[in-house]
Amino acid sequence: MVPDKTGASVRDAGTQFLLTGPGTPPRVLLRSLWEARTLVGVLARKDFFVRYRRTRLGLLWAIALPVVQAAVLAAVFSSLVSGVGAATGDRGTSYAVFVFAGMVPWAYFSAAFTAGATSVVDGANLAQRIYFPRLVLPLVAVTTALFPLVATLLVLLGLVVVLGPGLGLATLWVLPGAGLVMVVALGLALLFSAAQVYLRDLRFAVSAGMTVLFYLTPVIYPVTRAPEALRPVVELLPAAGPVELFRHAVGAAGPGLWRSVAASLVWAVVAGGVGFVVHCRRDRVLADLL
Amino acid sequence: MTARIELSAVSKRYRKYDDTARLGGRLGQLLTRTERSWLPALSDVDLTVHPGESVGVIGRNGAGKSTLLQLLCGVTAPTTGSVLVRGRVAPLISVGVGFHPEMTGRENVYVNGTILGMTRAEIDRRFDDVVAFAELESFIDTPVKFYSSGMFVRLGFAVAVEASPDVLLVDEVLAVGDFAFQVRCFERMNAIRAAGTTIVVVSHNMSSIRGFCDRALVLHGGRIALDGTTFDAIARYHDLGSRAAGQTTDPAGKLEVLDVALLAQGEVTGHARAGDEATFRLRVRALQDIAAPFLWLGIESGQGVVVYSEARINDPMAPLAAGEEATYEVRLPLDLPTGTYYGDIALHEVLGPGRSQLLGTGARQSFYVSGRGHVHGAADLRAAFSRTDVPA
Repeated sequence: MVPDKTGASVRDAGTQFLLTGPGTPPRVLLRSLWEARTLVGVLARKDFFVRYRRTRLGLLWAIALPVVQAAVLAAVFSSLVSGVGAATGDRGTSYAVFVFAGMVPWAYFSAAFTAGATSVVDGANLAQRIYFPRLVLPLVAVTTALFPLVATLLVLLGLVVVLGPGLGLATLWVLPGAGLVMVVALGLALLFSAAQVYLRDLRFAVSAGMTVLFYLTPVIYPVTRAPEALRPVVELLPAAGPVELFRHAVGAAGPGLWRSVAASLVWAVVAGGVGFVVHCRRDRVLADLL
Repeated sequence: MTARIELSAVSKRYRKYDDTARLGGRLGQLLTRTERSWLPALSDVDLTVHPGESVGVIGRNGAGKSTLLQLLCGVTAPTTGSVLVRGRVAPLISVGVGFHPEMTGRENVYVNGTILGMTRAEIDRRFDDVVAFAELESFIDTPVKFYSSGMFVRLGFAVAVEASPDVLLVDEVLAVGDFAFQVRCFERMNAIRAAGTTIVVVSHNMSSIRGFCDRALVLHGGRIALDGTTFDAIARYHDLGSRAAGQTTDPAGKLEVLDVALLAQGEVTGHARAGDEATFRLRVRALQDIAAPFLWLGIESGQGVVVYSEARINDPMAPLAAGEEATYEVRLPLDLPTGTYYGDIALHEVLGPGRSQLLGTGARQSFYVSGRGHVHGAADLRAAFSRTDVPA
């Protein structure tokens, strides 16, 4: 039982713990995360279903919100910005399907990342009283948002059937799209959830940033409509990859699809990697600052 | 026997950070690593606890009790030294942590059980026992927001105990339940302790520490002031309390409180035996002329019951001249049952018929009385018991 180079601490994750410093070695942290997998599921299910308790429409809200948002955006933009509707793809994808295909991963990204970024601070009540790896909290946030993701995905498939281009093998691209948006949201949430403990300003910076990102990321317009100079930036934003993959599934991806996917993967790996290291090193003392 | 808890040379410091929200200052802090100040919470603590032991932890607010509990449940790591805990830890630090008001008792049991490290199968198996212990059979499918605070605590306690922890940490929470439930909690804790669970109890209620623990620690200023029998620990705790220089108040600004003390059998102490003569002493310096000062004494039990209070408003002391120092004493026999008490001595001034003003009071003196056996209640009235129909 020698303290290792992370500056710490826990040897045996299972039934005993030895604390000599603020960190948890990566291997031990991963193992205790694995042991906490039921906890993640239980907390995520609780967070999601409790939200709709005592509402008349219940789970319908999980679908209704993104649908209304997408409908309004589709109506406003197709009438205000001329030509947007026409330029949405080679397979004649309707603008409604085009926008909703962007909204599904965006809504997930926004919900999962925003909740994940503040998860450790918001979970103070629990985190200060009982130990579990603090990584559980962003994981719960990202998992909770999966419920509405599935719901909106079903609506998207309905739209694809009704408004075209119809289901096909290409539709399966929503699956890697969903996988990618989860990974990106988780990666960023890992980093921000730990950073937020030290810098509370991030809560507000994140919500400001999300507003900017919403319009920069090609969610409601095709990449090709972005100003030429901005296009490299727009294509490389964290959520651009999943959005483009969903577009691909409805036959309306931009020319930079794979560049965007690669960029999203880089975001996920870099932010997630740094976030994981920070969590490893500060796992046992994050609660001190809550 | 392998120890359940081993702390060696544990110190814990917290960083103090100021809450100024000035942007300039913040940016400055981001750029330059400024010298930071630290707040020591625990210093050089060594502690070994074995399976089946129950240890009480007592100390004044800020003595380090909560930090110790946080270290034991692994929520925080020591700054230096090492903490080793063997087995599953269930903190009763705040019963029902993670309870969601909109969820039913049943749902909350499953969530809370999982948080405490139980598997679904384990919870299924113990579910009926949890409900039975909490006596909530007919409310288990009701959202817990409709529960009374007692029901809430019962359910939380039941889950924690049924999680069959190797180490149970209890922090003052049992004070919420009613008396009958507290008794059952202690019985239950005794049972799991007999089965090998180590229990650490933090409480300000000396009677429950005495009733439940066979060993107690006194924490003072982050150090272990005493690790011994509960009786010695309680005496030490009150000694420390009566000597601690407390805040004094002089709302009228007419005098300065110099010192306040409690003496029993002629010594400054916080521990007395029933029937001892106690002396409350108050030393003051008058800042202005005070025409008709009078003394007030109040004694309150640990449960908040006023045992005795008397104001000598009709019997004022000699006038005080500005600058004059005076020492006042109130002497009384402590005919009280076992327990913790608080005493206040204060100087007031008569302002007119039936009107008075508080001039100054010292820190509240807490003390512990070791009462006569089998005497309970607010006061020990020393009744004489006899049978009178038979000539002696």
